[in-house]
Amino acid sequence: MQPDAGVLVAALALPFVAALLVPALFRVLGQKVAFFAALVAAGSFGLLATQYGAQGAVQLPWVPSLGVTLTLYVDGLALLIGFLASGVGVLVFTYSYGYMAHEHGHVKYYATLLAFMGSMLGVAFAADLLALFVFWELTSVTSFLLIGHHQREAASQYAARKSMLITVAGGLFMLAGFLVLAFAAGDTAAGRTFVLVGTGESLIANGDAVREALRASGLFVPALALVAAGAVTKSAQAPFHVWLPNAMEAPTPVSAFLHSATMVKAGVYLVGRFRPLFVPDLPAVPEWTFLLATVGLVSMTITAILAVGATDIKELLAYSTASHLGLIIAGYGLAGAEALELGAETGAFHILNHAVFKATLFLVAGIVAHEAHTRKLSELGGLRRDLPVVAGITAIAALGMAGVPPFNGFWSKELLFETTYVVAKANGGLFWLYPAVAVFGSVFTFLYSVRFLMLFFGDRPAALGDTDIHRPPLSMLAPPALLAGIAIVTSLVPQVAIDIIVQSATEASLPVGLEPHALKLSIPKLFSFTPYLGMSLLTVALGAVTYPFYDQLHAGVRRAREVPVTSPNWYYDTLTAGANPVSRRLAIAVHGGAFRTYAAPFLLGTSVLALAGYAATDAVPVDGIGAVPSAPLVFVLGVAVVGALAVARAPSHIAGVLMLSILGFMVAIVYILANAPDLALTQLLIETLVLVLFLLVLDKLPAYYGEIRTRSRAVADAALASLVGFTVFTTVLVATSASPDDPIYEFLLARAGVPAEHGPFFADHGGGSNVVNVILVDFRAFDTLGEITVVAMAALAVLTLVGMRARTEAGANEAAERAPAPDGGRPDAVVEAADASGASDAGADHDATDAEGGDAR
Amino acid sequence: MAEVTLALALGLLFALGTFLVLRRDVVRVVWGVAIISQAANLYLVTMGFGLTGAPGTDVPFLTGGTEAPYADPLVQALVLTAIVIGFGTTAFALVLTYRVYEENGTIDLSDLASNPFEGPEAAAAEVRAGDTDGTESTVPPTSDETGGEQ
Repeated sequence: MQPDAGVLVAALALPFVAALLVPALFRVLGQKVAFFAALVAAGSFGLLATQYGAQGAVQLPWVPSLGVTLTLYVDGLALLIGFLASGVGVLVFTYSYGYMAHEHGHVKYYATLLAFMGSMLGVAFAADLLALFVFWELTSVTSFLLIGHHQREAASQYAARKSMLITVAGGLFMLAGFLVLAFAAGDTAAGRTFVLVGTGESLIANGDAVREALRASGLFVPALALVAAGAVTKSAQAPFHVWLPNAMEAPTPVSAFLHSATMVKAGVYLVGRFRPLFVPDLPAVPEWTFLLATVGLVSMTITAILAVGATDIKELLAYSTASHLGLIIAGYGLAGAEALELGAETGAFHILNHAVFKATLFLVAGIVAHEAHTRKLSELGGLRRDLPVVAGITAIAALGMAGVPPFNGFWSKELLFETTYVVAKANGGLFWLYPAVAVFGSVFTFLYSVRFLMLFFGDRPAALGDTDIHRPPLSMLAPPALLAGIAIVTSLVPQVAIDIIVQSATEASLPVGLEPHALKLSIPKLFSFTPYLGMSLLTVALGAVTYPFYDQLHAGVRRAREVPVTSPNWYYDTLTAGANPVSRRLAIAVHGGAFRTYAAPFLLGTSVLALAGYAATDAVPVDGIGAVPSAPLVFVLGVAVVGALAVARAPSHIAGVLMLSILGFMVAIVYILANAPDLALTQLLIETLVLVLFLLVLDKLPAYYGEIRTRSRAVADAALASLVGFTVFTTVLVATSASPDDPIYEFLLARAGVPAEHGPFFADHGGGSNVVNVILVDFRAFDTLGEITVVAMAALAVLTLVGMRARTEAGANEAAERAPAPDGGRPDAVVEAADASGASDAGADHDATDAEGGDAR
Repeated sequence: MAEVTLALALGLLFALGTFLVLRRDVVRVVWGVAIISQAANLYLVTMGFGLTGAPGTDVPFLTGGTEAPYADPLVQALVLTAIVIGFGTTAFALVLTYRVYEENGTIDLSDLASNPFEGPEAAAAEVRAGDTDGTESTVPPTSDETGGEQ
C-alpha cells in the first residue's frame, strides 16, 4: 500500500498548527488546554494509524533547483517512532493536566511540547536528509526550551545549555556526514541526491554504488563516524551521556516524553535507519559493528553503573535511559552475516519495550515526587501502603526494565544476548567480550531496577515521617496504568507486539533485497534451554546475589565519579569555563561600540573580496583607454572632486556644508551632460533642501571635532580610503567596459511611447514621451510607491525625534521613559537622561547644553 | 569601453567619502555618507552608455521614434529614486545627530562609543545575571540531585 501524501502532511502539520493556537486557546480553556493538546496528539496518532501497513515514499518539491525535495517515507520503523511520539504524547498531555496544575508557564509548555511532537514526527517520516536535519534540530531546540522550563533557575539554565551544546554540536557533525553522503552519491550512476530511502535514486536503493564511491574516496569511515556522532550525542551515549541526567531539570512529563520515549530515540532511530546503508553484505564484521556495537555496549555498562550511584529517582531513570539506548544501539550495531537480522530485531523490539516501561516509570516518578515532595532515593520507601495501584504498575515496568523473564524487557534483552553470543561464536577471540560485557552491564540494570522498585516496599524511612501522601488524580494515574497494560500484553504474548509493528520495523533496518525471516517469540520458548537464556538467568542470579551490597556499590560509584579526569562533566565544565572569557574578549573586540570599529572592517573586507574576485577572474580590461570625454565634463568632474576634497579638509561645519553643496551642484551638471534632465532637476531641488536642512541643524550643534588625534590613525584611514577608492576605480573600469547584448531599456523604449494607432497626438500634445517618467509612474510604479514610503517614514521619524526634543525640554521623567525605541536604541543615553532628570532639573540641564552648543559655534 | 576619467573621479570621491566616514565627528560621517551616495548615483547613471560611449545619444524623450540612440532611461529612473531616498536618509541622519547631541552633549563618536561589555549597563547586567555566571564555570548547585557529575 502506498502512503497518502495528504494524510502524512496533515499528521505532521497538525501539532505545529495546534502549537500556534495554544496561546489563544489558553485564554478560553485555561489549563484544560492540556486536553486539547492530547486531542491533537490523538489526531496525529489516528491519521498515522490510517497509514498502517503502508510502505513507500511521497515527494513534495521544496528547493527544486538544488534537488532538495521534502520526501516523506513510511515503513514499519517510521510508524513505530511516529506511534510512540503521538501515542505517548496523548498520555503525557493528559498526565500534564494533573502534574502542571500548580506550575507556571502553561502556554509556553504546551505550545513547545506540541511543536516538539511535530518535530519528532518529522524526524520519523522525513526521508530527505536535509528535512531530517531540520526536524532533528527542531527537536533539540524544543528540548532546550522544555529543559529550561524553570527559566530563572540556575540549574535549569545550566542543564538546557548543556543539552543544547552537546546535541546541536553532534547534529552539525551529522550534517557534515549527510553532505559527504550526498556528494559521494554524485559519483554514482544515480547522481547526487539527499533522499535517503524510498525512491529509485535514493542512497539506500543504490547502497552498493554509494558504498563503493565512499570507499574509493576513503570517506566510508569518516561518513559513518560523522553520522554516528549525531546519533550518539542525541541518544546520550558515553561519553556524551552527561547532558541527560541534567536534563531531568525539566518537568517530569517532559522527561517521560522527550528524555525516555521519544527525543533520545531519534539517535537510535537514525542508527536503525542508516543501517542498510552502512552494513555491507560482507561476511566479516563490518566497521559499523566495531564502532556502534562497542559504543553501545560500553555506554550501556557505564551508565548502568552510574545509575546505581544515583541518589535521585529521576537521575536513576536518566542514567538508565542512556543505558537502554546503549542496548538498542548495540543491537543495531551488531551486524555481519549471522547477526544481521537478530541485531535489527533487538533494536526495533527494545525501542518499543523501553519506551513503554521507561515512560511508565517516569510517570511514576512524577507521581512519587508530586505526592511525597521529594525525589531522594534515601528518603523514600514503603510507599505501597499509600500508593498501592502505583506500586503494581511500577512492579510490572521495573521488572521489565530489569529483564526478568517473562517481562517485556526480557524478550528484547534476550535477543541482544543471542546476537552477541552468535557474533562471538562466529568470530571467536576478543568477540567474546561482547556477551561478557552485555551480561556484566545487565547485572547493574537489574540492581537499579530493583532499587527503584524498593521505593514501594520495605519500611518508610524516617525522613518521610508522617507526610500525608495522597492518591494521584486520575489524569496522572491513567496514563501509566495504560502503559503498564501494554507492557503486560507484550510480556505474556510478545508475538502480538511483533506482529503489529516490530517485524515491519525490523525490516526497515535490513539491507535491501534480504528476505527477512519472521520472528517468533512465546512463553513456551522459555522451557527449552539455550545459552542466551542462560545468560539472562545468570544476570538475574548475579543481580540477586549482589543486591544486599547495593549500598556499598552505591557509595563506591559515588566516590569513583568524583575523580575529575574520568568525568566527562569535568571536561564539559572546563571547556565552557575556558570558552567564556575568550568569547567575551572576542565580543569586546568586535562590538567595540565605536562606529569606525564597524565601518572599517566592513569596508576593508568588501574591498579585499572585490579585488580578489577581479584578480581571480582577470576581469580588469587592459586594452586601451576609452575616448577622452568632452572638456566640460572633465572640468565639472574635476570641480566635484575638488569640492569633495574641500569637504574633507573643511575647517568648520559651515564651510564643509557649502563645499558639499558645490559637489552636489556639480553632480547635477554631470547629469545634464549625461542627457538626464530629470535627474538634474531632482538633484538641484534636493541639494537645495539638504543645504537648508544642514544649516538648520548645524545651528544647534557644537562647532568642530575636526582635528585628527594621532598621525597613525590618519595614515591608516588614508590607506583604507585609498584602497576603497582603488576598488571603486577598478569596478568602474570593469563595469563600463562591458554592456549587455540585450539591454532592458530597449524593451522600455519600445513600449513607453504612445501606440502607433493613437497617432502622434498624445506624444505631441499631452506628453507621455518622457520614458523616465513613464518608467517611474507606470512600469516601476511600485518602486516609486516604495520610495514615497521611505520618504514618509523618514519624515515621521524626524517628526518623532523633534517631538521628543520638546518633551525633553519639558524636562519630565516620562520623556526619558518614552525615548528609547525611535532614536535607534542607545539605552545608555536614556539611562543617563533618566539619571539627569531624576537627580536634577533636566530642563535646565538641556538648556545649558544648548547654550553651550551655541557659544561654541 | 573602459571609462578611465570617470573611474578616476569616482575612485577619488569614494576615497574621500570613506575617509570622512571614519572620522569621529558625526557631522563628518554624515558628509561622508552623502558623498558616497552621490558618487554611487553618478556611477549608476554612467552604466548605461557611459559618459563618452555612444556619441550622439539623446535625452530619453521619444521624439525621433523608438530606435534613435537614447540615453538609457532605466538607470535614470533608478537613480531618480535613489536621489530622493538619499535625501530621506540624510535628513534622518541629521536629525539623529541633533538628538545625539541633545542626549549626550557631544557629537564626538569616540566619546559616544560605549562598549556593551564595559561600563555601567554591563555591570548592571552582570549583577542581574550573577547567579548564572557562577554556574557557567562550575557544576550547578543542585548537581547532587540531578547527577551533575559522573
